[in-house]
Amino acid sequence: MPPFDKTPLQNKPFKQRKSFATRKQEVAGIRTKFPNKIPVIIERYDREKFLPPLDKTKFLVPHELTMTQFVTIIRNRMALLPSQAFYLLINNSGLASMSLTMAQVYKDHQDEDGFLYMTYASQEMFGH
Amino acid sequence: MSRPPSNSTAGLSFHWSTGRRAENNKQDRVKIVGMDAATLTYDTLRFGEFEDFPETSEPVWILGKEYNALTEKDEILSDVTSRLWFTYRKNFPPIGGTGPTSDTGWGCMLRCGQMILGEALMCRHLGRDWRWAKGQKQREEYISILNAFIDKKDSYYSIHQIAQMGVGEGKPIGQWYGPNTVAQVLKKLAVFDTWSRLVVHVAMDNTVVIEEIKRLCMPWLDAAGACGETEGVGELNGCLEGACALAEEETALWKPLVLLIPLRLGLSDINEAYIETLKQCFMLPQSLGVIGGKPNSAHYFIGYVGEELIYLDPHTTQPAVEPCEDGQVPNETYHCQHPPCRMHICELDPSIAAGFFCRTEDEFDEWCMRIRRLSCNRGGLPMFELVDSQPSHLVSVDALNLTPDFSDSDRLERFFDSEDEEFEILSLRET
Repeated sequence: MPPFDKTPLQNKPFKQRKSFATRKQEVAGIRTKFPNKIPVIIERYDREKFLPPLDKTKFLVPHELTMTQFVTIIRNRMALLPSQAFYLLINNSGLASMSLTMAQVYKDHQDEDGFLYMTYASQEMFGH
Repeated sequence: MSRPPSNSTAGLSFHWSTGRRAENNKQDRVKIVGMDAATLTYDTLRFGEFEDFPETSEPVWILGKEYNALTEKDEILSDVTSRLWFTYRKNFPPIGGTGPTSDTGWGCMLRCGQMILGEALMCRHLGRDWRWAKGQKQREEYISILNAFIDKKDSYYSIHQIAQMGVGEGKPIGQWYGPNTVAQVLKKLAVFDTWSRLVVHVAMDNTVVIEEIKRLCMPWLDAAGACGETEGVGELNGCLEGACALAEEETALWKPLVLLIPLRLGLSDINEAYIETLKQCFMLPQSLGVIGGKPNSAHYFIGYVGEELIYLDPHTTQPAVEPCEDGQVPNETYHCQHPPCRMHICELDPSIAAGFFCRTEDEFDEWCMRIRRLSCNRGGLPMFELVDSQPSHLVSVDALNLTPDFSDSDRLERFFDSEDEEFEILSLRET
């Protein structure tokens, strides 16, 4: 399926679309079903102007996948050139270290609801 | 240089208070401090009265040099004034023949790119300790550097070249750039600068790969029969008197490296965990400073004192300069002769690019060692990661074999058939 043919149904962040209880329940269900995958929410920064939206928000990712591999997948989905800026911020704050595995990132940064939240953004432009 | 960050700000004349960001989009505030009518000069009339440098016992760091603000004020100002200051200009030849003749209102990040590369060229050809002297006949290398930035179409790094090369990065002439945009453009333009023979490397995905840089700076190691590779010396080989200037034979062993690392240190505000690490950047001897800005306004950051960043601001429009008949370039407007601007670190827009210059392989190795030491010892969050080699899975993206696992996804759909959103399942498939 081409990645960009769907506009997101809702523009609100995932956390605001669903209650904590629902999210927690969802993680519990999916972890039982797929114990060797990590539930990841990846969303576009709301003021992002250059990177396209992704058609999916929720991913199940293997533990041993490295951040480099994950970023490569997302970059390919968006058909970005290697020279285009792309940053994944964990919990809206810090850049993920690219050599870590998903399991390592998950261990340190998972949300109370059990999801791992990431936001992607390029860079701001300067003029004026 | 290992002095712990002090909490004492006594004596620092902070004009900033936490959370004040309202004035970001205006021209920098100008304050009258310790200046009376008798000291008004041409420059103070022209630039307004800039706040003087603070009287503080906190160390002042400018591009890898430490100063004492109480005893070395003249040295600080001389160092700052010696940096190349590129500002908006007007009345230059139209870009692309019919384009803009001024970059006011759009060129600030392009000018910051010129400043950081200008600093690299000064390190390359004159050495970090070279100082500008107003009104004096300048060295040939200096004139050649300045000529590389003059606002005309055939200078290596003119606003014309940068704006036109940006079209290939998806930026039509006159559009705003980000730090990565200008870094990518400078990388392309540097290829044509056969005088400086720099390697401009832009490290993407907040990762610096040592092996990749060594291959770029020593390409002859990859090529068989590389002896013919070390071509003749640069056109301007004369009067390299400074011990710090790069001897030409050194470039036969290592092409001087300009390392630019575009980063995003937060979404709307800088993550405070990066502040100490950012300060460390200015303490490294290889520092070329940082290009970035306040939201919308680009600045070239050259150092810090206490919790304030020190920067050169391109937001002054000056008339374009024509080289003289004798080859000299009127250079006074290319040096900032008032005390440098300062702003609180928290005002920094999170989109930046940090720059470093490594003239030799030893300098690069030393930089790597220092970065490693910083990421082990300090409390701050590393801004980027340093790795020895490209992880093998990165070499070929095809080798990843990451495909959605369809059997799983079928089961999942049944499992969550009441859900509005499905998971996408990523699997590593063995081949």
